[in-house]
Amino acid sequence: MTHPETLVLSRKVLRVLIWLNLLVGVLILGLLVTSLVVGDQVMRTLTAGTPQANATLFMGMRLVALIGLCAVPIVHFILTRILAIVDTVSVGNPFVMANATRLQKIAWAVLILELSHLAVGAVAASVSTAAAPFDVNWSFSPTRWVAVLLLFVLARVFEQGAQMREELEGTV
Amino acid sequence: MAIIVTLDDMLHARRMTLTELSEKIGITLANLSILKTGKARAVRFSTLDAICGALECQPGDLLAFASTPQEEEIGQSV
Repeated sequence: MTHPETLVLSRKVLRVLIWLNLLVGVLILGLLVTSLVVGDQVMRTLTAGTPQANATLFMGMRLVALIGLCAVPIVHFILTRILAIVDTVSVGNPFVMANATRLQKIAWAVLILELSHLAVGAVAASVSTAAAPFDVNWSFSPTRWVAVLLLFVLARVFEQGAQMREELEGTV
Repeated sequence: MAIIVTLDDMLHARRMTLTELSEKIGITLANLSILKTGKARAVRFSTLDAICGALECQPGDLLAFASTPQEEEIGQSV
């Protein structure tokens, strides 16, 4: 695959992911509102008994949904920033200070996502019981934390690159 | 304080146009124009080498240092 084709494909994939993320957001919001309006039916559908019997579990599920909902704008922020970086690559000028700032913001956003992932794990662990387990398929991944670190490093690399590029501009 | 580029004087002395110099040394007319008008922020040794070779001069013949605004104005008006 050639370089321009990769960029075109990346842009398409990112646009699809942006829409999918928004769709997930709408679905989570729908689930959250439904759980507030018709909680009994939702609990029966999820085979977790009535809300009265498992009030803590139900509250935990709502909290996880709320964390998921909060993650949607963060993911949207990340994806739109990546799209902006891809656009600068396609015009042949990626080493600009704006991209360094974007990468740093992405790094912070991914860090927030990782913290919210920890929060989901904590909520699930606190409300889950042997009688009514709450399995969110949670696992700790050091790779993601390394990715956060890598993003911060990459942001600094871009900043240095942008400074070098600025210095080179006007050189004959 | 400023560095004044005296490329225009050297071209005049050698009866050469900027376009001819550009063709001779393979540096774009746009870049040479930036250098000539004093808008360049830095000059590569390879550029100086090529210009000095083509104009048969020394780097000092192409650059001058103006310590006062008056000198700077004189340099730019030349």
